[in-house]
Amino acid sequence: MVENVIEVKDLTKKYNAGDGKLVAVDKISFEVQKGEVFGLLGENGAGKTTTLEMIEGLRKPTDGEIKVLGHDVVHEVQDIKEKIGVQLQSSAYYDYLKLREILDLFGSFYQKHLDPDDLFKMVGLESKANQYIKNLSGGQKQRFSIIASLINDPDIVFLDEPTTGLDPIGRRNTWDIIAKIKGKGKTIILTTHYMEEAEILCDRVAIMEKGKIITIGKPHKLIEQTKTPYKIEFVLAKEDTSFIDRLMESCEAKDCDIKKLPGKTAHFEMNIRSQGLLNKAVEILQKENPESFTIGRATLEDLFIELTGKTIADEENGNV
Amino acid sequence: MFKMFLTNLKMMVRGRQALFWSLFFPLVFTIIFGFFFGGTNASVGTVALISESNTELATTLEKAMTDSSLFKIQKETDLNTAKDLLKKNKITAVVEIPADFGSLKNDAAKEIIVINDPANAQSNLAVTGFLDKFLTNVNFQVQKAQPIYSLKVETTTDSALTYFDFVLVGLIGMALMNASIQGIAISMAKYRQDKILKRITTTPLKSWRFVFAEVLSRLVQNLAQISLILIIGIYFFHAHISGNILLLGLFALLGGLLFQSIGFAIASVATTVDAAQGMSIAVTIPMMFLAGVFFPIDQLPKWLFSIVQYLPLAPLLRMMRQIGLESASPLVNPINITIVLIWIVIMLFISIMRFRLADE
Repeated sequence: MVENVIEVKDLTKKYNAGDGKLVAVDKISFEVQKGEVFGLLGENGAGKTTTLEMIEGLRKPTDGEIKVLGHDVVHEVQDIKEKIGVQLQSSAYYDYLKLREILDLFGSFYQKHLDPDDLFKMVGLESKANQYIKNLSGGQKQRFSIIASLINDPDIVFLDEPTTGLDPIGRRNTWDIIAKIKGKGKTIILTTHYMEEAEILCDRVAIMEKGKIITIGKPHKLIEQTKTPYKIEFVLAKEDTSFIDRLMESCEAKDCDIKKLPGKTAHFEMNIRSQGLLNKAVEILQKENPESFTIGRATLEDLFIELTGKTIADEENGNV
Repeated sequence: MFKMFLTNLKMMVRGRQALFWSLFFPLVFTIIFGFFFGGTNASVGTVALISESNTELATTLEKAMTDSSLFKIQKETDLNTAKDLLKKNKITAVVEIPADFGSLKNDAAKEIIVINDPANAQSNLAVTGFLDKFLTNVNFQVQKAQPIYSLKVETTTDSALTYFDFVLVGLIGMALMNASIQGIAISMAKYRQDKILKRITTTPLKSWRFVFAEVLSRLVQNLAQISLILIIGIYFFHAHISGNILLLGLFALLGGLLFQSIGFAIASVATTVDAAQGMSIAVTIPMMFLAGVFFPIDQLPKWLFSIVQYLPLAPLLRMMRQIGLESASPLVNPINITIVLIWIVIMLFISIMRFRLADE
């Protein structure tokens, strides 16, 4: 039987803005199951962090209910804090404490705590245990920040954008750590705006926009529900409008679309509704002998674009 | 909470720059004031003496001046050389005893000439006062007269207090004020900016325990400040702290609490480290000069005194001087403790209402 460790019902958060109330989170409901990695996705300002911080007991909900491990967040927050671990978005630590001392200090705040050396070993920071935080690289800081959230051996770990600002290797390392934490039977709830990261890491995701959850479910199931779950990406030797027209004629407009991708010359993406139409398009493409072509399926990002009509990059650049 | 307290102490020791400003900066002040005004040497400087007379009176005056602890005597023979030394600030005054001064001849010189620098008001007063007193005595003896009226000076304390004693207590207050207000306001603003406070709120540690550990560790720092300043002042510069040192320390720590509450009040409204720094300087600098650290504030214009006497540091220093310098009870003037307690209550009220570890 599935055990829910987090239950959120009609959760709402409003702030007083200059000209009335700003609704940061708007009557959202969801559950997080024991042992899963649950992702909250969405662009900046969608309400992910506010939702997370209300569940952690850092912000008071305007309305709605939150239960964490059976405890009510408003009235039993101390009980909850004993059992959760929190990694904040871009949080710093004391300048004049060594890493081991920071873990010792934070461990002293809890009734039970793990041996810092085990945590350092888990993320390969054994040699840095007696260093100050200023001596760590960005990736090392992030790894330390994650183990600091594990010092009390929590049942649920909250990770707020754990890979933001990291280089590709740093991100991969963080993914490995998250997998290790999941392997220990912990429940992880994370926020991210990297869709491929959520697709790889999360058992289930909720996509948020303007304070609402617009869809929730397992990433692969959600992707299957997109209008065009298949896609082909190809690069032609040169721009050839007649070929693109011919390709489009292989299916009806409602069943596929082709768009030119930015950057490279003659780089296209074709989104297709069914397997049969995919086969047909592949056949036409093979005859054209393109410089490169890849067959794949839609991604969470495609789903996000389909649901919101925009990309996260659009949002961040203000192109909405 | 005990762990947090110990960790705070560790961080204080490791934060060399903050440690310098909180401990060594007031010590530098203490040492400078100690060299100028401390010790038993009340000398106002060096006086160049040009004596062209060999009379008994001139010799007696020369001996009296040499024996005086008020100034040091440097014998010169040439007036221009002495004037040159005065211009270069190498001496504080020139005393010229003319030829035949003290001789019984009718046309013998009757005046001693003093050449001084108007900028050295204190030295000038000491030198002319000394010579005036000497000559008055001589005049009485010549006229075979006995003085009828005289002056008897009594002080509020038996010990011979100096300006250094006054300023030493002021420096303790200044050190506590700077370290507590700036220390708390800036460190809390930095912790908030770095989201350390927010990170703390994700743990089960209660906010009051965090604040209590911070206050306790700052009080230890205050205790170190008080002890160092008193040790340097008393043992190296012979400050006269005749009162109960423990009571003095206790009231100084009450001051530490007062200033910490101001620090928390500033931290509750300052959103950035820069703002906290600016606000705490805006609070501490005026108090440093207007609350009686370096000079008695009753010398200020009446309208200004009527305002600044209520600044938090002013009543605290009045109480500390009553304890340390006058061996009196700090409650001899209850208005002082009342003002301090009112300030603590106001600042605590602001802090409790507004200071949060994390923003909602």
